[in-house]
Amino acid sequence: MTQKEVVRQHLPLFEEQGRSASVPDDVGRNLHYLPDMPEEDPYQAGHRTCAGCGPAIQYRWVLKAAGQNTVVAGPTGCMYVANATYMSTPYTVPWAHTQIASGGSFTSGMAAAYESMIRKGKYEGEYPNILVMAGDGSAADIGIGSISGALYRNHDALFICYDNECYANTGIQTSPTTPYGGSTTFTPPGKVIPEGKKLPPKNLAKMMSEGHPNCYVATTTVGYTLDLMNKTRKGLNHRGAAFLHCYTPCQKGWVYQTPMTVELGRRVVESGLFPVWEYDPAERKYEYFIPPEQRPVVDYLAMQGRFGHMHPEHVALMQVAANRNWEDMGADVPKRLRELEDPEAHKHLKEEEYSLPVNRGIGA
Amino acid sequence: MAQTTIPDKSVEKLTRGEGSSDLGVTPGIDRAEKLADLDGTTMRLNGCAASAYAALYADVDVITAYPIRPYTAIMMNLSQFIAEGLLDAEYLHADGEHAQLSAALGAGSCGARAFTGSSGVGITYAFEVYSPAAGARIPIQMAIADRTLDPPGDFGSEHTDALCTRDMGWLMGWAATPQEVFDKHLLGYAIGEDPRLLLPQMICQDGYFVSHISGDVELPSIEQVERFLPPYKLPFALDPKKPVSHGPQIHPEQGPPLQLERARSMETAIDIIREKTKEFSDAFGRSYPPFVEEFMLEDAEVVFVMQGGHSVTCQATVKRLRERGIKAGMARLVWFRPFPTEDLQKALDRAKVVGVVETNLGLGGASYGGILSLDVTTALYHGANRPLVTSFMAGLGGETIPINEFTWMADKMVEAMERGSVEKASHWVGFED
Repeated sequence: MTQKEVVRQHLPLFEEQGRSASVPDDVGRNLHYLPDMPEEDPYQAGHRTCAGCGPAIQYRWVLKAAGQNTVVAGPTGCMYVANATYMSTPYTVPWAHTQIASGGSFTSGMAAAYESMIRKGKYEGEYPNILVMAGDGSAADIGIGSISGALYRNHDALFICYDNECYANTGIQTSPTTPYGGSTTFTPPGKVIPEGKKLPPKNLAKMMSEGHPNCYVATTTVGYTLDLMNKTRKGLNHRGAAFLHCYTPCQKGWVYQTPMTVELGRRVVESGLFPVWEYDPAERKYEYFIPPEQRPVVDYLAMQGRFGHMHPEHVALMQVAANRNWEDMGADVPKRLRELEDPEAHKHLKEEEYSLPVNRGIGA
Repeated sequence: MAQTTIPDKSVEKLTRGEGSSDLGVTPGIDRAEKLADLDGTTMRLNGCAASAYAALYADVDVITAYPIRPYTAIMMNLSQFIAEGLLDAEYLHADGEHAQLSAALGAGSCGARAFTGSSGVGITYAFEVYSPAAGARIPIQMAIADRTLDPPGDFGSEHTDALCTRDMGWLMGWAATPQEVFDKHLLGYAIGEDPRLLLPQMICQDGYFVSHISGDVELPSIEQVERFLPPYKLPFALDPKKPVSHGPQIHPEQGPPLQLERARSMETAIDIIREKTKEFSDAFGRSYPPFVEEFMLEDAEVVFVMQGGHSVTCQATVKRLRERGIKAGMARLVWFRPFPTEDLQKALDRAKVVGVVETNLGLGGASYGGILSLDVTTALYHGANRPLVTSFMAGLGGETIPINEFTWMADKMVEAMERGSVEKASHWVGFED
């Protein structure tokens, strides 16, 4: 059989120097100015997401990085229901809804189709970027098997989990990535269960990196635009399967002030609650991003109404988890953060005062 | 189950590589060369092998597989075709039937000719995906070898597994012999991929009775197949050169027109099936009735209505009943979806009693028996001739339906004819006098 060559795209990374070089701000954090970016926005107007929607920001950067020669799948979730309305979808790239558990499998099929059709001369053109953006309910819960299957089979595609730490679309129910203490409509705090959610989150990205040979895995947040776009391109350029776990705040579910979405994307990293890293399957090595600023978890928690019910002992437990994360990342844990492992060092969360506006609402 | 231990001769022959006519294992042979070799030959294949050969001839692009007996043999044969370089297709080992069907749908949505299949609880495990596939009008194909649903675990054939999905918008029909299996796969793609229709197809065969028992299969030339079934182009594929959105959310008032469109697709299917079945016989020289196979119906008073492999035994019974002076006949449904209401009414317009042989389980339905009789009765109710209708629960759990059981059923129909009414809507064969 004569087979045609499957020509794959290679997307250059965005410069982190020159116009987009980092500069320290008044608290010493690295701020990146955005580099020259493609003008095209495959994720356009026409969606109906909430003000301050983290996943919408993520969608825009990811598709800007991927470009027009891209095919996208979207399992059921907020970003299906709020984005794609009949006769008014925001995509200028081909997009398909999949069942909530089918993010991995449907996308596998798309990749297999293009491999086969190009090879057999049934499709003219370069192999398109194939990517799926699944919510945490889809990627970490009901569809984890299908994504695992897809990563294991090593299809040339990028599998993204946009993680808003709850089933937001159905009215803020707990998912495996909802943090300890998070109030959701399935884990409300009460007299008997004062902390709300009792379980720590599932470590989704580590499951993917440890469990799937050849898979490029990275984590990032909407607080780091350039990092998100470059990891998207690295994942797409990687020959084989790639998985990107992106933290994307949900204003409606987490109850915070709408302009704070990007700020939360930085504070969650600076408080040690969401390690940002990259896994190279060839070297079997993790590269961790250690932010220049390390904060107490209270700086992050107090911005959100979903944690407003937490007692001092619950906050201390979050600090313990953050400190263990820092250690896992190979970062020093400053003495002031170690001291915060003591419940005595904390108040009831709703009594904390911060420079940023704090939403005093309790619950989701 | 005794059937599982019956040595599968045709597959053995395939995998052992004996003789010039086996396709599976001659190393280093070119696809075109091999298919040229097969042109016009007759091979002894079981239903599963016939399915695999059909997929080979159809030059499918993506195959998604997950093991479950008895359909698994189809996928085993296909993996070997690919390993030997006879078929160029992506072969995807899914992590379950839900993923298997989703992956086929993803491939089909990009314009690939996708092939998949399942049996028994595998079919029901994938259930969520049937409606989206048909609603998206993606003409993927699924090969079904029936298996009884749990509980308890049972390898034997019952049509309940595929029949569960009958209202999801797929074309669905049963073949009775390996030759018909082979032909129906090609016909199914030709019908489903027709741009006026675009619907997924379930090509069904009884587990073991057809899937694992060999019969002669005439193989066509690749040119014949390519003429009848050319490579197709999905008009709305997920292609970056022509972006489209598949399956966005709708508002409630947008629902009814879309559902009406889906309902009409089944009516369109009736015409396309008729047309393509005729084209098939012109292309390959083997003729099938588009919807109802009629056996000794001209003057028949008592008529069996059924589908699938047991119809072969039924025909033998009908001949014997005729020797006894009973005017018996048989109507076999070739497609169950779309249901051939008009053709069945016509085929039964002289019948006095109709006995539906179920080979499936429909718990708590109007007949308190099976699934087929519900559609058959409704179809006949609206016809010019309204025969008495009863049904027979037989062949459940994968049991054979021997001639004496068919004879018992015929006697029940004769009694009903003499009495002028049926005793009941459904009989459990073997449990009644």
